Amino acid sequence: MAENKKDFDIFEVFVQETHLDSHIHVGSLVAASPDLAMQMARENFLRRDQAVNLWVVSRSQITATSYESPFFSREMDKTYREVSGYTENGRLWRMFKEKDMDIEEIVAHVREQSNPVAQEEEKPERRESR
Amino acid sequence: MKIEQASVAKSNPVYAEALVNWLYQLADDELVIGHRDSEWLGMCPDIEGDVAFSSIAQDEVGHANFYFTLLHELGEKDPDALAFSRPANSRRNALLLEHENHDWAYSVVRHMFYDLWDELRLKAFSDSSYFPLSRGAARMLREEYYHSLHMTTWFVQLGSAGGEAKEKMNAAIRKIWPDLGDLFYIDQEKMLLQFGIIQESSASMKEKWEEQIKGLVQKAGLTWPGPVPGVQMNGRLGEHSDDLKRLIETMGEVYTLDPAAKW
Amino acid sequence: MLTEEARFQAFMDRINRGEKIEATDWMPEEYRLLLIKLIHMHGVSEIMGAYPEKEWVPKAPTLKRKLAIMAKVQDEVGHGQLLLRVVEDLAAPLNKTREDLIEDIYKNKVKFHNVFHMEARSWADAGLIGWLVDGAAITIQASLLQSSYGPYARVLKRVCAEESFHMKHGESIILALATGTPEQRKMLQEALDYWWESLLFFFGPREITPAVDRMLYYRIRVLTNEELRQKYLDKYVPRIQSLGIKIPDPQLRFDREKNCWVYTDPDWDRFSRMVHFNEGPKSRERVEMRRQAHEDQRWVREALLRARKQAV
Repeated sequence: MAENKKDFDIFEVFVQETHLDSHIHVGSLVAASPDLAMQMARENFLRRDQAVNLWVVSRSQITATSYESPFFSREMDKTYREVSGYTENGRLWRMFKEKDMDIEEIVAHVREQSNPVAQEEEKPERRESR
Repeated sequence: MKIEQASVAKSNPVYAEALVNWLYQLADDELVIGHRDSEWLGMCPDIEGDVAFSSIAQDEVGHANFYFTLLHELGEKDPDALAFSRPANSRRNALLLEHENHDWAYSVVRHMFYDLWDELRLKAFSDSSYFPLSRGAARMLREEYYHSLHMTTWFVQLGSAGGEAKEKMNAAIRKIWPDLGDLFYIDQEKMLLQFGIIQESSASMKEKWEEQIKGLVQKAGLTWPGPVPGVQMNGRLGEHSDDLKRLIETMGEVYTLDPAAKW
Repeated sequence: MLTEEARFQAFMDRINRGEKIEATDWMPEEYRLLLIKLIHMHGVSEIMGAYPEKEWVPKAPTLKRKLAIMAKVQDEVGHGQLLLRVVEDLAAPLNKTREDLIEDIYKNKVKFHNVFHMEARSWADAGLIGWLVDGAAITIQASLLQSSYGPYARVLKRVCAEESFHMKHGESIILALATGTPEQRKMLQEALDYWWESLLFFFGPREITPAVDRMLYYRIRVLTNEELRQKYLDKYVPRIQSLGIKIPDPQLRFDREKNCWVYTDPDWDRFSRMVHFNEGPKSRERVEMRRQAHEDQRWVREALLRARKQAV
């Protein structure tokens, strides 16, 4: 059947903006070959935006969920998986005269340690006193 | 000898003259091919390709703008005046680039021929004695990567498709061949080499170009028309066809309404 | 199994809840056809809309303007690409492809906006298109960001982001002319005189046509033609007047009692014929250009398909 096809293939385009981002779908285009799809994608989707990597995937290779099925349903309480399920901790910590700590605080702290200058600049007490 | 600034280059009139002369050849090539490319806007084989080709056109005009700016720093008129108001006989572009676009095959072949030459030429001054030029070469070479990739893809796919496409591609090569001569001609070449403004001779670059093109012609299953002819008319010395005169007239239509006005 | 009626009701419930519909979802045939009609015309207008400005690409009067107008026209073609992709997915069940959608232009099976049938006679016209025609298009597109059809709304997000550059580009040309020589200001005034009526027409008739009514029902669109035209006048009339150029409509004023702009009607009949029968000053020429682009390069597309087959 493909032999008689008179039209170009549809390619879905995925862009990775920086090394710390995943590839994100930005749209689709038609092209005769993956090579050309790639070259067209650069200008059709990245005329202004930065990127470090680009995928083009023939649409026929994609398996997707339906928008209408209950595929993503989570009906019962699943907050035990989430931060919001642990609000009690804050109250308990206060009993021990400690405050609740979140992961951002540790990430920020680790970053400060590796950069003494940043530590100086980012001390929260000083920012408040300004 | 390394020259950092235009003011230093200007203090050596012989050096400055050779440099200015060379920059005109580069700027005019880029402006004219960029202008021709832009005529494909809205006319390309498919919508996606239209968008892609326009970026190439913009890159070329952008490169012209870069060279005109260097010229202005060296005491020539402002970039717009240089681009829009010089008569045909003072333009230094290669003849091939000024011709009308004809069909897609002609445009693809011409562009690929030019891109590969331009890449060699950029490499020849990527270590130029004139710093502003070598710095620009490095940046332009990075943009040329996509141009060469894109145009060689077209060239090889259309050639290897056989049938009507192959015929049209071969016809385009034959049509272009007699116009190639002055593309490889560098005015005041001896001086440019002597001053280290460029570091490779046109003869050596031309040899590499022939080798690359021969490989691509073969890969695309097309026909090599034989030795590249010598210079007939020489665009580098201001000899041009009526195509260029019309191009300049069109390009300057609004500018010349009032060159003193701000547009 | 849902009955047809229940399925339709479930669909309308989704629309009324403000949910987005996707290409692979079930949708009423009427919804699909309305979308195809609207987005096909939108996409084709972008592609045909490239031509009036394309005519000024070779003549742009400075290197910066040359680069900018090339980039702007390129964006228009790019928007056409994005929109046609949306239509192609909608029209796939009807066995229509890109080839068909483009051919429809020169087979007179799809219309495009009245403004792109008009002549771009001067550099000021090119600037005015960039400022006021794009301004009108932006007004409409901004309202369509709320469309119930997800793929359309998503594409318009990208389109609107790029239009922000078009706004600046158009304004920049106009401001240069407005602050320029008397001759340049005259060019600008002549451009406005020529374009004003077609800008008013651009938003469509005052009354709500049956097709628009159905689009509002399905939340494909959320505002009427007249609401959009009023919003456009709100934003643009004061700016035009601030430049000291005259809007060629002596009736134009803001009626505080009715809280709306009063304006002289454009020649609805003339512009409508232009759009329906390609009778505008440049309609035939530009449709012919599109035909040429597509037909003269057909050998290229066919060659690429052959090359692909050989590579397999």
